[in-house]
Amino acid sequence: MTDSDTPLIEMRNIEKSYGPVHALRGVNLTIRKGEIVGLLGDNGAGKSTLIKVLSGAVPYTSGKIFVNGKELTLRSTNDAINSGIETIYQDSALVPQLSIARNLFLGRELRTGPRFMDRMDQTRMNSVAADLLRRVGISKNIPPTTPIGSLSGGERQAVAIARAMYFDSELIILDEPTNNLGVAETQGVLQFVREARDTGHSCIFIAHNIHHVFQVVDRMVVMLHGKIVADDLSPKTSSIMDVENVIMGKNQAA
Amino acid sequence: MTETNSAVPPSQPKPGLSNFFIATPELGPLVLLVVMLVVFTAINPAFLSLNNISNALTFTVELGLMALAMTLLMTSGEFDLSVGSVFGFTPVVMWTLFNAWGVPLFPAFIVAIAVALFIGLASGLFVTRLGIPSFLVTLGMLLVVRGTALWLTSGFPQRTWDAGEQWLAEVLVGDFYIGGMRIYMSLIWFILAAAILHYLLTKTRFGNWIQATGGNPGAARNRGVPTKRVKVALFMLSSAMAGLAGIISSIRVSAANPNSGTSYELEVIAMVVIGGTVLTGGRGTIIGTVLGVLILRLMRNGIVLIGVPGLAYNIFIGAIILGMMALHAGLDRRHNEGV
Ligand SMILES: Nc1ncnc2c1ncn2[C@@H]1O[C@H](COP(=O)(O)OP(=O)(O)O)[C@@H](O)[C@H]1O
Ligand SMILES: [Mg+2]
Repeated sequence: MTDSDTPLIEMRNIEKSYGPVHALRGVNLTIRKGEIVGLLGDNGAGKSTLIKVLSGAVPYTSGKIFVNGKELTLRSTNDAINSGIETIYQDSALVPQLSIARNLFLGRELRTGPRFMDRMDQTRMNSVAADLLRRVGISKNIPPTTPIGSLSGGERQAVAIARAMYFDSELIILDEPTNNLGVAETQGVLQFVREARDTGHSCIFIAHNIHHVFQVVDRMVVMLHGKIVADDLSPKTSSIMDVENVIMGKNQAA
Repeated sequence: MTETNSAVPPSQPKPGLSNFFIATPELGPLVLLVVMLVVFTAINPAFLSLNNISNALTFTVELGLMALAMTLLMTSGEFDLSVGSVFGFTPVVMWTLFNAWGVPLFPAFIVAIAVALFIGLASGLFVTRLGIPSFLVTLGMLLVVRGTALWLTSGFPQRTWDAGEQWLAEVLVGDFYIGGMRIYMSLIWFILAAAILHYLLTKTRFGNWIQATGGNPGAARNRGVPTKRVKVALFMLSSAMAGLAGIISSIRVSAANPNSGTSYELEVIAMVVIGGTVLTGGRGTIIGTVLGVLILRLMRNGIVLIGVPGLAYNIFIGAIILGMMALHAGLDRRHNEGV
């Protein structure tokens, strides 16, 4: 569609204040197509605020956001979803009481019959969900009518990521997707993130565990006190200790 | 259900009885209802007589209409304590317009329902826009609405109407006989409302939004579900149903008493939670609520028939609520430990 040099996302000079708290101070961030970017920073650095701005969840004070070279105003999460930006929060991705299929299509339910009846096409929703579960290779034997509440943490993350892939989000933002997961489950989720990239999706990956970040990202961006202090650290050329020093503001990034 | 390829059983290793109970919240109340029918009938066979059932059902539907709407509201994570006041106030508005202002009955009905809708709108906006818990908002609304009803009427019941047949009254509370059983129109409205709201909750997109709004509001919002509007709409529905129920009741007893409906809100919430709907939202069942409505009604009716003083009614209702909640909490705990 657009030529491949145009970055997927370009944030220019984004400022965000919560009253007196200056959470983002002139942030510039570029995300290219098909890359996994690790977003790092100590508590309070502004990571969550940055992704909330990008997902339309909080309004920004000033600055510009371009998606595929087009300037956008993100006023709501729906604006972001409609421009292909999907955010997966740890605890607010899925509804435990609803089935896998109903979660998959939440807010985008398939409809059947006359419009005023507002009827969901549950048959089709279930068969798409079953198909997707099979295709992504997780939970082969879990029916799509299973409530999310009875899945494990890793399976839930997988369902949330699968949903983003199904709706062809260009950018998938993962906020601490490996928190509270066991070793095997973490590997499953990381593998899933790689699959998302290999099928052409870009990802922003936030995690406290730097080891997890190192295993999966192409590039690391570090925030400190509301600013980006390094935006091109590579897991191939930097050591974990280098990155930790940048996170703590101990020395300048290369 | 439509599953064809992966016909493998679920990997979750909890297919036992407790799991079935959790997946089917209507089961508990259904068992209780059957037990009550058996016990009461064994003690006094008159319990199952057509006459008794028809009597029991008449008054039931008025509370039942409120319980149906409350089920959806509670599924979305809120509840409304002002329904009893709206139940008393709405008919006062209608009959005051009709008697003192000479407004024809149908327009007066429309205005009264609009007033009820407005009360629900106000509660909904207070809860969703200002973030005040629904307990406080609707407690305040309970007092404001009841106070207004008393003030408007100086505390005196309003006459309903003097002359002639009113088609609206026939449509709302007229009666007919089916094989010796007297059926009131209000029962038909109750069944219709139950069917529509069951469809709404389980089959429609809006129903999915209601459950998501109560189950995980953050997730619902992130998917673009307008959770605030969902809640406001349900506050309005709940209020309108309370108004309709109040009007039906006023026609049935030929008086609009500004005090009527006092403490109905608690009985309505009891019906809903006994039916298996969760107070904290996310899971609700109209079928369960219908069972809850029947349980409370038959209990009231049954204990009198078997000779227990009616004053003891609340003991039984309280015990049922506590028992049901203990059952669900116990099952939930076992379920979670199993994970
Ligand atoms: N809703 C809010 N209201 C006021 N201050 C906030 C709010 N959210 C975050 N902040 C502040 O903004 C700064 C950045 O926070 P955050 O983006 O959550 O950082 P991180 O996710 O990197 O830990 C912190 O000082 C935090 O206290
Ligand atoms: Mg954070």
